Amino acid sequence: MSGEASTAPKGNGWEPNILAFCCNWCSYAGADLAGVSRFQYPPTVKILRVMCSSRVEPAFILKALKDGADGVLVAGCHIGDCHYIDGNKNAEVRINNTKKALAKLGLDKRLRLEWISASEGLRFSEVIRDFTEEIKKLGQNPVKEVK
Amino acid sequence: MRRVSKTSPRSSIYNANVYGLDTKDIWTCLTCGLCPMECPQQVDFLSFIKEEREGKQPLEVAHLGVFTELADLSSKLDGTAKPESGDSKYGYFPGCVDSLGLFLHDVKTDFGEITTSSLKLLDKIGIKPKVLQMKCCGHDVLWQGKKDVFDRLKNYNKKYIKESGIETLVTSCAECYRTFSKDYDLGIKVVHTSELLDKLGLKINADVTYHDPCRLGRHMGVYDAPRKALTSNGANIKEMEHSKENALCCGVSSFMNCNEQTKALRIARMNEAEATGAKTLITTCSKCLAHFNCLKTEKDAVKKYDFDVVDLSVFLARQLEAGK
Repeated sequence: MSGEASTAPKGNGWEPNILAFCCNWCSYAGADLAGVSRFQYPPTVKILRVMCSSRVEPAFILKALKDGADGVLVAGCHIGDCHYIDGNKNAEVRINNTKKALAKLGLDKRLRLEWISASEGLRFSEVIRDFTEEIKKLGQNPVKEVK
Repeated sequence: MRRVSKTSPRSSIYNANVYGLDTKDIWTCLTCGLCPMECPQQVDFLSFIKEEREGKQPLEVAHLGVFTELADLSSKLDGTAKPESGDSKYGYFPGCVDSLGLFLHDVKTDFGEITTSSLKLLDKIGIKPKVLQMKCCGHDVLWQGKKDVFDRLKNYNKKYIKESGIETLVTSCAECYRTFSKDYDLGIKVVHTSELLDKLGLKINADVTYHDPCRLGRHMGVYDAPRKALTSNGANIKEMEHSKENALCCGVSSFMNCNEQTKALRIARMNEAEATGAKTLITTCSKCLAHFNCLKTEKDAVKKYDFDVVDLSVFLARQLEAGK
């Protein structure tokens, strides 16, 4: 994860490097649908499949940002649709708390929580496009590389 | 730690320094400072542990290292916060209570109340400090062997303190107090809130018991100030079986080793507190507070404890509010 994130080209050719945690039951299938339906979205996102959005610990998000990811997207099933009944409710609490912690560092806009169901391939591509645009406006992740 | 697992300071030193072995003993140590208290040769075991851990990978970090990651992340960012202007010679550093509240929301403790209470009490005794928006003091990363991260945090914080122009740094956290006093060379006075609270003039009239956090007690030798803050305000302290120099550890320091052994230690300490019959257990460290309250809110706990665990400044501020 760390090696991959830091190889993003610097300077003018810079493209955002977004890490997306997608839940196995909805969002990953949604991404799959976006693929088979050939909905276009920018290649700025690296998708990581997790079993549930509540699997995503705040530590993972902080580590991704620390190691140079420009944005982190956490995607799960809509509230009420969770495969594990209320996993996404827990995820919402966690991600919101992480956002508050990141707000102190000025990084809260680089974290996003979205609900994308398995049938929303179009929405997946829209979310990625929108998030990429936002990250482009924010610019590169301000973490300094330390030797 | 020896109460609950086979660990020996002597074998740790032998394995590391004489045989040159990688040993997990240096990571299971709680750095509570009880061994150097007992040692007839006064071996500085804590410094040994701190040096030995430097640059190595910790065996186990609790909460998946979320606090370590947060400190590491903030150490790599340019801090934007500027010190408050004003001519106050006191600075108050709240520590990491905000992130404790955010990432330990299961523990059901209002950590932010420590900050508001401390400021209220300082106001009462006529101190109007600047609230310092520094980065983490770096205590946890230092004891987890991440000296590089600690150095980055330290450099930033030292610059920040210099710019703020304060002459006394007040902190309500025992760990921050230890770190600013011993691991930073600030050249200004560092005090813990408990050292300032003996002249509030409250009449509490309640039985309480006091847990000495290792960082405030054995590391810094502050045993009497928090007790005086309680007794001079009318509280009646019922000491536990082990107190002051011999106080048991709350089980976890610098967010390492949350396992069966450390939980056994925590239960032992809570049982001692229960045996005193006091209705309130007071401590001066936000980590001790988190760990005791974690045990209290555990779903499948073996035993339920019916006393409150609160921070000293929160306790005093609540009494002040109640008009006592």
